[in-house]
Amino acid sequence: MRGTLRWARADLRARRGQALLTVGVIAGVVAALLIATMLLQGALNPWQQLFARTRGADVLIYFQNGTNTSELSSLPGVQAVGRPYQAASATLEQGPVKSPVQLRALTPVLPAMSAPLVVAGTWLRASQRDGAVLEASFAQAVHVGVGARILVDGIDGTTVWMQVIGIADTADQGFYPQWTPGLIWVQPGLLRQVEPNPSETQEVVGLRLDDSSAVATSQVVQTIWNLYNGPTENSAVERYSTWQQVQNSMASNDRLLGLLLALFGIIALLAAPCAIANVTAGRVLMQRQDIAMLKALGFTPGQVVRMLLAEQTALGAAGAALGLVAARIVTSSEFLRPPDGSPVGLAPLSGSWLALIGVGTVLTVALATVIPAWWAGTVSPIAAVQPSPPRGHLSLIARLGLLVHLPAALVLGARDCLTRRLPALLTVFGLAIPMVMITIALTCWSTIDGFTRDPARIGLAAAVTVSQGGLPSRQALALIGHDDQVLAYYPSAEFDTLLPGANGTFVARAMGYSWRPYPFQVVQGRMFHAANEAVAGQGFLDLMHIGVGAWISPTIDGVPVILHIVGRTLEPDNNGDVLDFGLDALRDAGSAPPQLMYSLVLKPGVSAAAARTQLLRASHDQLDVQLAANPASGLGVMQVVIAVSVIVLAVIALANLLTATAVGLRDHRHEVGVLKAMGLTPRQVMATLVVNATILTAIGVTSGILAGLVIAPRLINMQGQTSGIGSGIAAGLSALTIAEILAVALAIAAAASLFLARHTTWMADSAQLHSPTRPSRPRAHASSLRNP
Amino acid sequence: MRQPLLALLAKEPAHGYELKLALEQIFGQAYPSPNIGQVYVTLKRLEQDGLVCSQDVAQTTRPNKRVYELTPAGREALRAWVDEPIDGPRIRDEFFIKLVLAPMAGLADRMALMNSQRRHYLSLMRRLTELQADADSADTAARLLIEGAILHLQADLDWLERCQEELV
Amino acid sequence: MSRSAPKGLPWPPKDSPPARGFRGDGEGGTGKRIPRPGGVRRGDRARPPEAALLRTSGLVKVYRADGVSVEAVRGVDIEVAIGEFVAIMGPSGSGKSTLLHVLGGLEPATSGEIWLRGQRVDGLSTAGWAILRRRHVGFVFQFFNLLSNMTVADNVELPALLAGATARQARKRREELLAELGLADKAGAAPARLSGGEQQRVALARALANEPSLLLADEPTGNLDSSNTRDVLRLLRRAHDRGQAILMVTHDARVASLADRVINLFDGMVADDAAIVPGPRGVNGVRDVLELRG
Repeated sequence: MRGTLRWARADLRARRGQALLTVGVIAGVVAALLIATMLLQGALNPWQQLFARTRGADVLIYFQNGTNTSELSSLPGVQAVGRPYQAASATLEQGPVKSPVQLRALTPVLPAMSAPLVVAGTWLRASQRDGAVLEASFAQAVHVGVGARILVDGIDGTTVWMQVIGIADTADQGFYPQWTPGLIWVQPGLLRQVEPNPSETQEVVGLRLDDSSAVATSQVVQTIWNLYNGPTENSAVERYSTWQQVQNSMASNDRLLGLLLALFGIIALLAAPCAIANVTAGRVLMQRQDIAMLKALGFTPGQVVRMLLAEQTALGAAGAALGLVAARIVTSSEFLRPPDGSPVGLAPLSGSWLALIGVGTVLTVALATVIPAWWAGTVSPIAAVQPSPPRGHLSLIARLGLLVHLPAALVLGARDCLTRRLPALLTVFGLAIPMVMITIALTCWSTIDGFTRDPARIGLAAAVTVSQGGLPSRQALALIGHDDQVLAYYPSAEFDTLLPGANGTFVARAMGYSWRPYPFQVVQGRMFHAANEAVAGQGFLDLMHIGVGAWISPTIDGVPVILHIVGRTLEPDNNGDVLDFGLDALRDAGSAPPQLMYSLVLKPGVSAAAARTQLLRASHDQLDVQLAANPASGLGVMQVVIAVSVIVLAVIALANLLTATAVGLRDHRHEVGVLKAMGLTPRQVMATLVVNATILTAIGVTSGILAGLVIAPRLINMQGQTSGIGSGIAAGLSALTIAEILAVALAIAAAASLFLARHTTWMADSAQLHSPTRPSRPRAHASSLRNP
Repeated sequence: MRQPLLALLAKEPAHGYELKLALEQIFGQAYPSPNIGQVYVTLKRLEQDGLVCSQDVAQTTRPNKRVYELTPAGREALRAWVDEPIDGPRIRDEFFIKLVLAPMAGLADRMALMNSQRRHYLSLMRRLTELQADADSADTAARLLIEGAILHLQADLDWLERCQEELV
Repeated sequence: MSRSAPKGLPWPPKDSPPARGFRGDGEGGTGKRIPRPGGVRRGDRARPPEAALLRTSGLVKVYRADGVSVEAVRGVDIEVAIGEFVAIMGPSGSGKSTLLHVLGGLEPATSGEIWLRGQRVDGLSTAGWAILRRRHVGFVFQFFNLLSNMTVADNVELPALLAGATARQARKRREELLAELGLADKAGAAPARLSGGEQQRVALARALANEPSLLLADEPTGNLDSSNTRDVLRLLRRAHDRGQAILMVTHDARVASLADRVINLFDGMVADDAAIVPGPRGVNGVRDVLELRG
């Protein structure tokens, strides 16, 4: 044990750089994993962060105005009671569109509990009595920004103009429109203007509980309910909301995002142990003689294995700890917070998550070390005294190369790749695996990029949907038809429909006509061309357990329709549970003409927002214009995650390259002397080493990219399929991108090996020639005639 | 004995006893110490050959001593000796002949011959290393002589090994 | 023999042979070395078998590579008594080093028996051999093979620590050894900074750290000049005087002539095995050397 410790200590001291590299790689992987998880958790479930940052209330109770709430603080389980405030229902009026809102009366001084978090503009100011602060998701949904003037209608018809001075986040309720009404914070005076009748207002009290578990929360709520809504008819508690409800409401059910998280977890989990195994294997290769000597001294194979395992695991633990600290520093800074205040952010990870990642990393490191450590355990002690003779000879090709006067460095460098197979294999694998991951990551990136740049590719040809709103349909149609920004428009109607013979619903959507169908992205089969034909999303096909070619007979809008599914579309809406057909299919089936909407395909270069503005202006705000939701809009965070992963993977690849090159150079040291003695200039020797490294990098990177190009589309399409959008969403990398990756990788490899090679070559001591080769006869003693 | 005496006389004329002392001083243990009678006999012969000449020098308290001096012919002979290279050490030809012939005669097998020869060499080697360890470190000539003998012996052993590899 | 080194074991091992003390002058190496009268001779059949420290019978080592088998050691029977100094000579490729490696358990024997300290050890596992080596077998190699990552002090202390010594015991032993070898001031140096002779002395100190009863040396002077050779031989002889048996492979007749006995290996078999008898009576002084050369 003591001997083992002594060795490990000396070893770490002697290979400080390599140890630091290992710790760095592990720290990078852990930090990236943590940040990615936090980002994605934040994207999937922003509640936790909002709750923490706004010092949210566990429970909100809406009391009838005038209720005595002083008893609340003495209730068992209640830790703190927030300052009560008034709230009143109202309507936000935007032309024909009316949105339900709740006004909340707060003072310019932010409350201690559930203080809205201002993300744009300012909080309420005493100096601006008509100032209003809108909840962020609501403001986004109604397209209102700071500086806008809004019109709010009271229940009794009072209308009040307000000036939007800020946008804020809150953990009090879920995002609009999943959770209505929208929230507007105003000062008490303004609230009284909108709702002068106190009996129409509510008094809202936030509570912090000692134990915020679901059971305890519901117990407290029950107690309050029983206390205030006793046997009397008068029910003082009008409603309540708990943090669990808010969290559930905010939790995104975007399965695509969740699956991408899983994919990145897998990438990190694969790349990290590969890197560690590579580094350890490289080490064993470099230290073969020392390990053999240890065994000759009396280390058992088990001791050698345990020693390497313990050492690497300790490095792993150090790396994991460092990674945790780094992730904490990065995430606690404002650096990663999106500046637009969108609710996508970082979710602080629970202790168990941190522990899982930490322990998982250490275990992974240990696991990755097992094979090289076992290999070290089997090193024969004889290796200490019998250095394996350098293998290999000039192949026919090499000799041919020299014969036709190819540069010697090129020939010798290339030859090294063949004669030193194990280090060569380590280099190739060490580079190929991160490159596979990088290719997958970049393909994800390019897919997400494709979603936003070319929405038509994922079946989102129309950027804007218009319903006639307050206009007669003829006039609405005329307005759309005359808009110079519109390339094409397609009438459509949507029906929530029961699944035939199954529980659940799907969306039946008539878009365009069978002779002029909406430009769906059909990835399997063909587009419908007849009234009795339809196409469907992957989600629908999965729900029905059918494939393209099936006949179905759903009852749509009360009328049974018989349809032949002739194709599968990429369907980003409604988890892909969508059936599309022409309007003529409904007409033929005999159903009443439905209320139509129009899906507008815009001319290239026209932004959806501009088109909306123009249509609203043309119709004097009479048309109802909605922007199409792009599933990639929530994936912006994925690009951050991908960028981080690519950087970490590149570092891993570089670490592998450096390790492998160092192993190669160590083996080369003797050879360098010989090559020099043979008459190669230092420059040529260096070139030999660089050529060797570059060739190996080229092989590793190319094979990695090739494998990645094969795997990535499959993985992404598999995800597409499970998420309902459907297989076929993956966008491949362009040849240019691939060439760029290759060029960058080769440049880095050449630079790294050049750096290391210079180091080796300039150590031009003749000592390199004194290698342990056994002389056949003892040395003569004549060399020393003098006695000391 | 002839050439060493000539060489000493080339430096300066000397009488017999001085020559004996000089020999002892220069070679130390590395050279068998000559007895004085042998020195005188040798000098006499050199004089007969015309390589040295002598004359008596009178001494007050002792009998006269005979001082010898190199003649031109003697100088010539000395030069010829110095200029002539010495033959290398000869192979132990006797052993070699034994090694080749003994098996033919059915008297002994080669392995046994070589083994006994090696044992003998190793004994000698042990003796030489002991001598070397005992040698006065100031006595350079003696040390060089032993070193030379050891190297020759090592060569003999190496040659024995070659014989073993080739003949067995 | 214990197959593991539990913490409670006494250190140095109690069952190591008693030190015999210095014979002759030992120090300085200039004194006359008296041939060991008690040197065990082959053919001394009256001796009970327990007296042998190391004994092999019918030892065979065959290498198999690419379907070709090479018999490096072909049925070797040798014995080494406690405290005996035996040299192994022979032409290149005669199996000398292989024999030494097999005897130290660095490589497994193909067949045959190896008895060490009265125990049969040829069947030991790799780990069993490793544990045996810690306490009872020291190795010295031609190319020193110091652990490059460790300082000289660590190199010497490692075997003691491995055998269960405390850090303090190991340090004390290391200080003694390095002082004896004249390397006390090099304790903190990296092996690469040392000259060949110094490295070999450190290797020797490392091999002797646990006072093993058997020291296996493979061409320990093969890479040294004559003055370093003399130093290393002096140290070996001192270890020998202390009662450590030495089995040394060498090409150098001068080195071999210091042994009690020389075994000549030829083609994987013992060609000759004989004690070195004291030199010829006739050679009494330096001036006889000239006669010797004839």
